[in-house]
Amino acid sequence: MNLWPFVLYAALVLITAGSMIGLSAILGERHKERFTNQPYEGGILSEGTARARFSIKFYMMAMFFVVFDLESVFLYSWAVAARDLGWVGYWEALIFIGVLVAALVYLWRLGALDWSPDTRRKTR
Amino acid sequence: MSSADFVALLPLIVLGATAIVVMMSIAFRRSHALASTLTLVGLAVAFWSLWPAAGEVPRQVTPLLVIDRFALYYFGLIIAATFAVVLMSYGYLERHDVRREEFYVLLLVAALGSAVLVSSDHFISFFLGLEILSVTLYALSAYLTERGIALEAGMKYLVLAAASAAFLLFGMALVYAETGTMSFPQLASDFAAGGAAHLWVLAGIAFMVTGFGFKLAVVPFHLWTPDVYQGAPAPVTAFVASVSKGAMFAILLRFFYQSGSRDLHATLLIFGIIAIASMIAGNLMALFQNNVKRILAYSSIAHLGYLLVAFEAGGLFGAAAGTFYLTAYMITTLGAFGVIAVLSASGRDAEDIEDYRGLFWRRPGLATVFTVMLFSLAGIPLTAGFLGKFYTVAAGTNSSIWVLIFVLVATSVIGLFYYLRVVVALFATEHIPSDAERPLPVVPAMGGVTLGVLALALIWLGVYPHVILHAIQSAMSGIF
Amino acid sequence: MFHLLWLVPAIPFASAALLLIFGPRMSHRMAGFLGCASIGLSALISILITWRFIALPPPGGNYTQYLWTWMNVAGFHPDIALYLDTLSLIMVLVVTFVSFFIHVYSVEYMHGDEGFSRFFGYMNLFVASMVVLLLGNNLLLLYLGWEGVGLCSYLLIGFWYTEPKNSLAARKAFIVTRVGDTAMALGLFLLFDKLGTLTIQPMMHAAQLQWPHGSVYATAAGLLLLGGACGKSAQLPLQTWLPDAMAGPTPTSALIHAATMVTAGVYLIARTHVIFQLAPTAQLAVAVVGAVTLVAAGFAAVTQDDIKRILAYSTVSQIGYMFLGLGVGAWTAAIFHFMTHAFFKALLFLASGMVITSMHHEQNIFKMGGLRKKLPLTYWAFVIGGCSLAGLPLVTAGFYSKGLILWGALSSPVGSTWLWIFGVVGVFMTSLYIFRLIFITFHGECQKEPSHRPGWLMGVPVIVLSTLAIVGGFVELPSYLGNHPWFTNFLQSSLPATIEAHHPLMSELGAEGWAVLAFFLGLGGAWYLFLRHREVPEALAAKGLGRALHRWWYTDWGMDWLYDRLFVRPVGWFSRTNKTDAVDLIYTGTAALTRAGWASLRLTETGRVRWYATALVLGTVIFVLIVALL
Repeated sequence: MNLWPFVLYAALVLITAGSMIGLSAILGERHKERFTNQPYEGGILSEGTARARFSIKFYMMAMFFVVFDLESVFLYSWAVAARDLGWVGYWEALIFIGVLVAALVYLWRLGALDWSPDTRRKTR
Repeated sequence: MSSADFVALLPLIVLGATAIVVMMSIAFRRSHALASTLTLVGLAVAFWSLWPAAGEVPRQVTPLLVIDRFALYYFGLIIAATFAVVLMSYGYLERHDVRREEFYVLLLVAALGSAVLVSSDHFISFFLGLEILSVTLYALSAYLTERGIALEAGMKYLVLAAASAAFLLFGMALVYAETGTMSFPQLASDFAAGGAAHLWVLAGIAFMVTGFGFKLAVVPFHLWTPDVYQGAPAPVTAFVASVSKGAMFAILLRFFYQSGSRDLHATLLIFGIIAIASMIAGNLMALFQNNVKRILAYSSIAHLGYLLVAFEAGGLFGAAAGTFYLTAYMITTLGAFGVIAVLSASGRDAEDIEDYRGLFWRRPGLATVFTVMLFSLAGIPLTAGFLGKFYTVAAGTNSSIWVLIFVLVATSVIGLFYYLRVVVALFATEHIPSDAERPLPVVPAMGGVTLGVLALALIWLGVYPHVILHAIQSAMSGIF
Repeated sequence: MFHLLWLVPAIPFASAALLLIFGPRMSHRMAGFLGCASIGLSALISILITWRFIALPPPGGNYTQYLWTWMNVAGFHPDIALYLDTLSLIMVLVVTFVSFFIHVYSVEYMHGDEGFSRFFGYMNLFVASMVVLLLGNNLLLLYLGWEGVGLCSYLLIGFWYTEPKNSLAARKAFIVTRVGDTAMALGLFLLFDKLGTLTIQPMMHAAQLQWPHGSVYATAAGLLLLGGACGKSAQLPLQTWLPDAMAGPTPTSALIHAATMVTAGVYLIARTHVIFQLAPTAQLAVAVVGAVTLVAAGFAAVTQDDIKRILAYSTVSQIGYMFLGLGVGAWTAAIFHFMTHAFFKALLFLASGMVITSMHHEQNIFKMGGLRKKLPLTYWAFVIGGCSLAGLPLVTAGFYSKGLILWGALSSPVGSTWLWIFGVVGVFMTSLYIFRLIFITFHGECQKEPSHRPGWLMGVPVIVLSTLAIVGGFVELPSYLGNHPWFTNFLQSSLPATIEAHHPLMSELGAEGWAVLAFFLGLGGAWYLFLRHREVPEALAAKGLGRALHRWWYTDWGMDWLYDRLFVRPVGWFSRTNKTDAVDLIYTGTAALTRAGWASLRLTETGRVRWYATALVLGTVIFVLIVALL
């Protein structure tokens, strides 16, 4: 088979990327003054470390979102073809929801849904 | 889905259901004994369900899964090995101040992933099984969160496994792009018609090798192994080394045999290089290692190299030899890490070779089991490891892959050195640490019995391999 | 009934395992009971099997118990299977039966010894290995048993290993037999290579079909097997280990180095008799080895002063008779002599054990004397055993078996008058040395008081064996005594009958007359030289030629000296001069190389994820490139 287009394409990609970085490194100005590394004019001055610690609940929130989002995606695609899939499809969807409910119950019992710190039970 | 499909899938269904049942039991009543008992019962039922399932094979269930004798044999291996891991985990976890019950849920899900993997004959189910397995293993590796080293292991495993999975996925995509199918049997017909010569297909297979190679931990995708083996809790390491690799080897056999891509010149060349590099590197790196878990990690690299020799040998004989070798290797690994698990106190795992100095005089039973395991790894006669190696060499000579055979034999000799180093430490009579220096925990009854059974199984296989060989022979019908 | 066969080796093996693992925590009572009971059970099963075999022989006169296949690779599939025919049946029966009584005897003999349970463990292991050797249906099992009994022999000779002398004797036995074992292994390889099977019976069948009479392969295989047999059975020129093997406990000497293990060579040749029938040269070699050994060992025995060494040389000499029998094609006669020899030699050793214990472990016969009154049971045991050994006509077992061999040597087409003359001289020597032993030990003046009389645990086995040493011969009556060859007929299905040609000069009775004459001459000579006129032999051995001969025979024809000069010293010299072994460089070089490999490869294990990922990518790139460029 003809490899040339591929090789050419790959070469062009490398050349483009390389020249963008390389040329700016060669041609670009270099400052090393006091405010060189500060955001320009309208930006906000950074403060503290970038490794800020967030409450676990943000992650919880994100995870719950992903879980239920995915659930709705699957159910949507099932709903479109529900008549074609018949009872077997219905049961399969039911099992799917059942497993998710089980997981939800588990998380609930674990206290993952208790929002404020004081109501959270000690489970351990 | 017919009832026959349902029966054929029963082992998978039982595994999945058990995971949910255990999870629910934790939600309502947190008890270590309850969770582990439910897990064991579930695994036992899953094992039992192999028999009704055997009545329905071979059977294609949905385009994704095929339940045949090959899959059932590996189901059996996976379930039995998980059972052993659960037994040795109980005592291990009792000594650690963590939430113990979720461990079993993760283990069951990992077993489910492995089972999906060995029964898949489609890229989708392959990837699905692999990810189910991997994701649970990340969590399991880092299970002892109070240990920095465990977190490190989990993290490394996560990053690298994700990277390798990306390669695998890309490889699959390339193959799909060229052939337009993701099912192994259809790939086979496409390849047979000459599609295999296409560059995209070949490149795709080469990318997929990375995915396989990572999970199997063969050179040059092996570097994570010692770190993860060392960091992960001993029972998890046992699982990673036995079940996860076993399942991966099974899908390796199934994919390459069923799709016919094993016979490609490129495949043979790549796996030949990998096998040689793994045998040499694995054995050499273990030589003067003082951490027993790392020794076993390096040794596993070498053993997977031996397994690839069986793969290279090809044919029914090669596949059967590989499967027998793997069976023996799984028992051995479980036993070796089991010894580490039962000897590990709460603070750290018993992984220093000094922990084992003179163990024979302090815990003769454990030391004997460990010796048997090491002998089997070294391939000393009357153990299953010897027969496995013997069959592998025989299969290799049948196919005249002399270079690989030569490397296998030469590196086995090197390997003997570090296995015997540990054995020597076990039987050392001088500088035996006192109980005050290195206290030995009480061996949990369940763990001890499990180890004894594993050691007996190993010798039984080495002396009377008839039954297993017969099962393997008929299992190979699945991929031929 | 036959399906119980596997238990015969399995029970002693299991009990050996128990004794060796848990022995140190067992009471002596328990260990002794276990050791004896296991062999007793084995013996019981073999008796039952024999009874069944006689009452209702299996079809074809043999029975194979197939247990399992060890491995099956490319036509190489050694079965774990037991083969029972009349030959192995007789051997197993005698081995288990005699072993049982020796075990019982040992309970008292080894009483209070530190290694009591270890002793019984080894002994049980020995019996198990011996039975495997006898029953194995293929060469691999036979070899396993062969090496197993060798190992047990080594362990038991060096049983009291704290004494350097004993360890040296054990080492010598191991090394010398190893020479024979190597020859035998080569023989087995040759057979497997040329005949393509490991199973003995099909192999013999194939040999008959493929090899012509006098074939080179058959001769080579026969001679190599003979080499192995010589090592194990202590025949010339590999006999030197057996007298030293007497360093082991006396029951060991009785069981292993007299009654059973040392006859493994006889069994080997009988088992592979087809090969020897095809190779007249090899068969003649067997006969010559036997004839020369039996006379040479007889001379050596006459000059010894250690009671156990005399018996050891006597064993060498008697096995020489068996070889002679095999060599002239008197197969059944050799097996017959094996059986009677097992009875009377075990008896003699057990009796000598009684003497030794009651004489505070004194073994020099010249420091004993007059024990007849003090130890009457032992005395009579010795008389019966000695008469049977030397062949007192009509009443003893040894007479019948030896007579059969001598007649075979004379009358068989492959025999000759010379071989017969050697045999008859051997009878004279046997009679001379055994009665010398009896007269010096039990008659004459009492030099030392025995400490105690042996108890019933030692007494009963001796009585039983004494009975057998007499009645054991009546299973085969020669032609001039009614002609009832029951034993020969029984063995007919596994061993060919002796071809009897009529000798031009002598009848069987006449030939027997010469042997009887030799016996009485020996007895008379012993009586004259060692009872009436003890000064005569002393004077003879004191000076000149007599002294030189005495010395020569005392050192077993100087064989040890010869081997020391021929092999031990050159090897020692070579290893001393080659201390900084040049060949070693290869190994140290390999070690250094692997160490360097380890040192460089360990650098790849950095612990950094970014390097691990890089390696992953690099590997992929390389493989993709390989694929793309091919």
